[in-house]
Amino acid sequence: MAGDAIVAEDLTYRYDELVAVDHISFKVAEGEILGFLGPNGAGKSTTVKVLTGQLQPREGQAIVLGIDIARDPEKVQAQIGVCFEITNLYEKMSAEENLKLFARLFGVPRFDAGALLARVGLAGRERDRVEEYSKGMKQRLMVARALVNRPRILFLDEPTDGLDPASAENIRKVILEERQRGATVFLTTHDMMEADKLSDRVGFINQGKIVALDTPHNLKQQYGKRALRAQVTSPDGGLESREITMDKPETAGAVQELFGREKVVTIHSEEASLEDIFINITGRGLTE
Amino acid sequence: MSLRRVGILLSKEFRHGSKSFIFIIAIVMPLVLSFVLSMVFGTLFSEKPKLGVSDEGDSQITQMVIQSDSIIGREYDSADALRNAVEDGAVDMGIVLPADFDNLVIQGEMAEITAYVWGESLAKNRVVLGATVANMIRDVAGQEVPVEIATTTLGDAESIPWNNRLLPLIVLMAIVFGGIMVPATSLVDEKQKRTLSALAITPASLGEIFLSKGLVGVIVSTVMGVLILVLNQAFGAQTPLLIGMLVLGAVMASTFGIMLGVFAKDVTSLFATNKAIGILYYAPAFVYMFPDIPQWIGRIFPTYYVVQPVVEISQQGGTWSDVALEAFILIGLILIMIGIVGILARRTAQREALA
Ligand SMILES: Nc1ncnc2c1ncn2[C@@H]1O[C@H](COP(=O)(O)OP(=O)(O)OP(=O)(O)O)[C@@H](O)[C@H]1O
Ligand SMILES: [Mg+2]
Repeated sequence: MAGDAIVAEDLTYRYDELVAVDHISFKVAEGEILGFLGPNGAGKSTTVKVLTGQLQPREGQAIVLGIDIARDPEKVQAQIGVCFEITNLYEKMSAEENLKLFARLFGVPRFDAGALLARVGLAGRERDRVEEYSKGMKQRLMVARALVNRPRILFLDEPTDGLDPASAENIRKVILEERQRGATVFLTTHDMMEADKLSDRVGFINQGKIVALDTPHNLKQQYGKRALRAQVTSPDGGLESREITMDKPETAGAVQELFGREKVVTIHSEEASLEDIFINITGRGLTE
Repeated sequence: MSLRRVGILLSKEFRHGSKSFIFIIAIVMPLVLSFVLSMVFGTLFSEKPKLGVSDEGDSQITQMVIQSDSIIGREYDSADALRNAVEDGAVDMGIVLPADFDNLVIQGEMAEITAYVWGESLAKNRVVLGATVANMIRDVAGQEVPVEIATTTLGDAESIPWNNRLLPLIVLMAIVFGGIMVPATSLVDEKQKRTLSALAITPASLGEIFLSKGLVGVIVSTVMGVLILVLNQAFGAQTPLLIGMLVLGAVMASTFGIMLGVFAKDVTSLFATNKAIGILYYAPAFVYMFPDIPQWIGRIFPTYYVVQPVVEISQQGGTWSDVALEAFILIGLILIMIGIVGILARRTAQREALA
């Protein structure tokens, strides 16, 4: 059954007075990767904590794998993996011991710590104490720990934060492998390229509210502006830049005019990026 | 509640928590205290209890006393010599056997012996000696016989020996410190390092996590309690009962430790709290130490119901009926505390504090 892995309805969480998550509703289909984006303090981590049963919704509800997370968190928790935003490993234990402890708690039969550590690029360092790990190595171990129980849903709160480009790419590969296996992925990140590349759909949250949720393609269509950027020679012999917004009625005329009037040196089209949309939505656009 | 998961967590606590500073302190401190005490009062690995006999006839008991392995026996020529020996503390107890003693007891008649007790002798020694003499008389008579023992205490009767006075404190320290601080620091440490939130999103419940940490406290605390009593040769005769009381004491301390750990935000505030209320744990022991203080004051403090039965059993030869009331009060206190911890473990606010 390709049902919904996560159904949030009017989900709300308050820290005392502060509304961190404000009546959000969305669904994540089984096997889908949902990228969850938003500025600092928008409520991403709080949403993850509510969806994983760490915080109790103040209003609304979250049905995760068909179970009301507020009613039976432990039953849900047995089937999900969580990579926390802040590293929380047993520093005095080795990487292997960390994973084995969690595998035992999840009751995973025939758990292979070495294979999992190799997947996140920690082969050869299995027996080292975590306190001797670098920040990035700890982060990779955090991702590995979220995978010990072969979760049906993976909640990853900024999993590539602090990783070098190669390690980050490796983690992205792991995320795609997990999806291949059938897992649903709820991914928060500040890396727009990453969100664009990995996500089936992207949700933007700002001040506790979901302000946009769609496929990257549709979002770009809707909010992004594609443009032609040209370099032309100026009368004094230098270079000047010209920009023409695409996908508008007047675009064609503007292009003709450019070539008619100016001496064009280079021209290329600029695709809309999630970054633009992010700024558009959170900076000036929707929230004002 | 899954015992399998509690077992997993328990083994993790022992393998990785046992290197912690507090864990080591909990084990080392009572041992060091015991050794210091024994240096000062010379009781650790102390000699066997000493029994003096003055025999006005020719009793088999005299031979039995002298040949006994469990006590040191000495024979004195006259009742006066025996009396002097007891007064000086050369023996803990002395008995005067009348001329026809063996015949009297064999015939099952009421026999009378005079006993002198050194006022500063250890209570446990008196218990051992009393029991030994009673056994010997039964062996000679071949049956249970009525014997009247007229006891006279010699020397300073009021002066309870210092190591008898201090033993309650050391026993309490052995039970209470490890019992409270081992689970409390382990819990607070995991809160501070946020590993507790990682455990909390596994199928393990907070209740299971609390239980595993509490059990570590119970085990450490019980083992230390037993060890300290054995080292101080104060185990008495009622081994299972005594261990049972130590376990109850350990359970109470550990449950309280979990409560402290739940409420303390960090290790610093945990230690501050413990320091502030620590005097309350040991208060009953101080009451013992100074017999001039009205002894009922001790009963106000919950730890009284731990230490009183332990002292009663180990020092005064108490049995179940002597400690049943305290034991039931202790069990009641424990049930209330476990109830509170159970509620805390289920409270939403408690879980949310970890996120
Ligand atoms: N433990 C807490 N107590 C009180 N307020 C909190 C707590 N945690 C988060 N908040 C507040 O809730 C709001 C949402 O925080 P949250 O951590 O969910 O943001 P985020 O989107 O994950 O941000 P970031 O990108 O910085 O990780 C913020 O205003 C934050 O200050
Ligand atoms: Mg966050």
